Amino acid sequence: MSFAISARIARRELRGGLAGFRIFLLCLILGVAAIAAVGTVSSAIKAGLAREGAALLGGDAQLEFTYRFASPEEKAWMQKTATTVSEVVDFRSMAVVDRGQDAERALTQVKAVDGVYPLVGKVSLEPAMPLAEALAGIDGEPGAVMQRVLVDRLGLAPGDSFKLGSQSFRLMAVLTNEPDNAAGGFSLGPRTIVATPALANSGLLVPGTLFETKYRMALPPGSDLDALELASQTLFRDTGARWHDSRNGAPGVQRFVDRLGAFLILVGLAGLAVGGVGVSAAVRAYLATKTGVIATLKTLGATRRVIFMTYFIQVGVLSLVGIGAGLVLGAAVPMLLAPLISAALPIPAEFAVFPRPLGEAAIYGALAALLFTLWPLAKTEDVRPATLFRDATGRVSGLPRLPFLMATIALLAALVGTAAWFSGMASLTVWAAVGVLGALLVLALAAVAVRLVSARIAALKWMRGKTAARLAFGAVGGPGEAAGSVILSLGLGLAVLAAVGQIDTNLRGGIAQDLPKIAPSYFFVDIQDDQLAGFHARLDNDLAVSRVDSAPMLRGVITRINGRPAREVAGDHWVLSGDRGVTFSDQPPRGTKVVAGSWWPSGYEGPAQASFAAEEAGELGLKLGDMITVNILGRDIEAKITSFREVNFSTAGIGFVVTLNPAALAGAPHTSIATVYAEPQAEAAILRDLAQAYPNITAIRVRDAIDRVASVLGGIASAVSFGAGATLVTGFVVLIGAAAAGEGARVYEAAVLKTIGASRRTILTSFALRSVILGGAAGVVAIAAGIAAGWAVMRYVMESDFQVAWVSAIAIVVGGIIAVLLAGLAFAWRPLTTRPAQVLRARE
Amino acid sequence: MTDPVLSLENAMLTLAGNAGDVDILRGITLEVAAGETLGLTGPSGSGKSSLLMLMGGLERATGGKVTALGQDLTSMTEDQLAAFRKAHMGVVFQSFHLIPTMTALENVATPLELAGAGDAFERAEAELQAVGLGSRMHHYPSQMSGGEQQRVALARAAAPRPQILLADEPTGNLDAANGAAIIELLFGLRDRHGATLVLVTHAPDLAARCDRVVEIADGSLQQIARAAE
Repeated sequence: MSFAISARIARRELRGGLAGFRIFLLCLILGVAAIAAVGTVSSAIKAGLAREGAALLGGDAQLEFTYRFASPEEKAWMQKTATTVSEVVDFRSMAVVDRGQDAERALTQVKAVDGVYPLVGKVSLEPAMPLAEALAGIDGEPGAVMQRVLVDRLGLAPGDSFKLGSQSFRLMAVLTNEPDNAAGGFSLGPRTIVATPALANSGLLVPGTLFETKYRMALPPGSDLDALELASQTLFRDTGARWHDSRNGAPGVQRFVDRLGAFLILVGLAGLAVGGVGVSAAVRAYLATKTGVIATLKTLGATRRVIFMTYFIQVGVLSLVGIGAGLVLGAAVPMLLAPLISAALPIPAEFAVFPRPLGEAAIYGALAALLFTLWPLAKTEDVRPATLFRDATGRVSGLPRLPFLMATIALLAALVGTAAWFSGMASLTVWAAVGVLGALLVLALAAVAVRLVSARIAALKWMRGKTAARLAFGAVGGPGEAAGSVILSLGLGLAVLAAVGQIDTNLRGGIAQDLPKIAPSYFFVDIQDDQLAGFHARLDNDLAVSRVDSAPMLRGVITRINGRPAREVAGDHWVLSGDRGVTFSDQPPRGTKVVAGSWWPSGYEGPAQASFAAEEAGELGLKLGDMITVNILGRDIEAKITSFREVNFSTAGIGFVVTLNPAALAGAPHTSIATVYAEPQAEAAILRDLAQAYPNITAIRVRDAIDRVASVLGGIASAVSFGAGATLVTGFVVLIGAAAAGEGARVYEAAVLKTIGASRRTILTSFALRSVILGGAAGVVAIAAGIAAGWAVMRYVMESDFQVAWVSAIAIVVGGIIAVLLAGLAFAWRPLTTRPAQVLRARE
Repeated sequence: MTDPVLSLENAMLTLAGNAGDVDILRGITLEVAAGETLGLTGPSGSGKSSLLMLMGGLERATGGKVTALGQDLTSMTEDQLAAFRKAHMGVVFQSFHLIPTMTALENVATPLELAGAGDAFERAEAELQAVGLGSRMHHYPSQMSGGEQQRVALARAAAPRPQILLADEPTGNLDAANGAAIIELLFGLRDRHGATLVLVTHAPDLAARCDRVVEIADGSLQQIARAAE
């Protein structure tokens, strides 16, 4: 009964149109649209990856091995299972162009292929020619194709020769499209493709060198991928073979897109919280104009429940309109921008309307609308009929009734819980929610403090005579709600941006500035045992070289812990994903700090023992005495953990998670890795001498690798900045809303001030000062919140040092002031130009 | 008659309305002498408040000429008008028009500050004491009754000692007792400071206290009478 009455009254009330709800709708639309758009783009990329799975993988399925070729048994199983099998060898090497004294060298990621590559998709070359023709070479010299960036770096042109190891190749064409490239993930060197047989005399694929082999399979139609995966795992479980198939052709990319998408949605939720402040302010402003109506309805016998439902229905209808429009916008913008987005992405994307991200955005929108409107709606219950006879604009203060408080807490929990579930990053979501709530609380306190302090300043004797300033402080400190919603909305938007700025500057600073000071100049890999003495001899006599570290290296996969599959025991830890470097040493290497257990005795030849990195062991739940199984070159080595040692991976030096006693790896083919710390001016000579003497050795210049990582981080930071930018736009909308809502009051105030003799300049100065006070306060709190968030992320997530990025911080405060100033001045025109008589007469 | 303080020559006011232009004032010619108290009466909508607004430069005449203290208000810019009011005029409204974000003291001190008075707050305090609000100086308008708000408005208008006081139905929103008190204060201020007072009123007893009463009907001047007549 009461619902029907409420619905009827609500319908009549809505006859007035949506004019008073523009900001309400805009905030909700922007918040929902941002989340829907991020979800849609993320889904489009995943759909593209799924569609192109086979092409990205290079086949319907793939078995991958670390620095060995498949055994005859493995090859037989693949031949039996597939209609065609293609073998690809992937490794890093140095491409060298010999020009007498000035040899050009560059790191390259080499792909050695057989005659059937690529099984899926097409390689494009410039000038156009079949890949087989290009790789066949000319004049008895095998052919190669390279990516444009490498061709340019080496100063080559098609027809020129270059060397990989000791084998000469003829560059036949520039590689313009490599269908299975995205699956390669992050790589330090541009691509070169050659034919595998041509490497026979290169000295690059000898036992112990670092390479991966990938066997791509074209499967008969209707093959059961699940069954084949299970069969491969059962047959080759202990040989280190890794299965991939077209259902997830680029697992690294998909995981990255998932994580970044989820993170951006969390940023979007912060935007929704900013919008929520605007939504809440809009509902409060609307209900304030309805105080008389509410009091009248109560006088006529309406119960508290009828009143609450009447306005709940109105706000509910408007919320549905806002959420609906947000979903349409969030789905439409990515579709409209699809050509631009696809062109900017290095991976395929298939744009369509995806119900799941839209549903997710709708749920977030509905929960946020409920959360932010419930409180003001609950206050309608407290309007007393007597208001009609005294102060029709009087506000009701105090907390709403307990059921509403409980409902608010339940809605908050539902919002955070839903976000944690959807994002799959519960801990990050909870911390983000704590951050946003904390920032909101601090901002609310700051708003109260700004009002109190402003009122005090306005009352200071010192302010007397400084009319514009006193008017500004008086307005900020006086009755009204502008200070609250401006500081909350803009402050939260700026806080998100400040946090992103602090984290980005610290991360990039750490990698691009601090790391080169402590990192080595070069990593050298694939050093053969018989080359080590000469390698050290060249460097030990060089005064510009301060330190050389070297260690034997093999690569292995930790497959089992105490006899059980490792991932079952320790979950999805990075140490267990793929192969890791493994070394052996008779003595603890220089600088080793054993923190638990003890190193094996010199010359120890008993059952295999392992020393494990202490921090990672803790994360995996390993104890001294546990048994780990490491698969190296298809052979299982089971070793007992007898010590833990400190390994610092943050200095880019040599660090191994697992070190074994030498006897455990006796006879295993291996090479050595070395780090060289040298003066920058000596780097070129070191590379020239070592590369000439040992053409099979690959040098990785650390500065290049750091630049590559920094540029990837830069890309991620810009994506996150766009997300934070959307939050700020919402904040600006709330700001515009607050300025628009306050325009009437300012028009009136200006009319009165003009009547008593104030010039327009004085009035404008006073308005501008208010903006500076509010924008400055929001900016200062945002910096504090951003620094706190940045510190927490760097300290606890990145486990790194934190330094306040003052340039970014000051830019935020200035930006905040400019934003409020622009919004305020945009709405100053009418107060300044309207004649006092028009305004004052209307109020009579 | 000495030089008039206020002078209107064929002053006209036409405002644009939804249904076309509306002639509010149709050529008013009138002079107000220094120290005189002039009452403007007439039925609602006759244009008497608009006439007061023209005199205060709050509205710009669309025809004719309005002069105050020898200066042509019709040719002044907004800021020149504001500066003129700051120096020479005080205005009191029916709806008080106090600035809601300022306390009573700040409201009264503001015109003094705008005029550059170094002792604005001390004078504002004295002015509020004079209207009986010594104990309410730090209250905001929303915390005061209608009568109290009008007393603040009166103090604000009188504080800069203007030569011209304009009052638009100053008792219109007040009960009889408060209205009477405000009138006593208003005439007391005029007597003490010798200002010229122009007031719009419906109240016959208030009109009776004026030196001269002008009746406006349909935007035109109908009758000028000495109050005593």
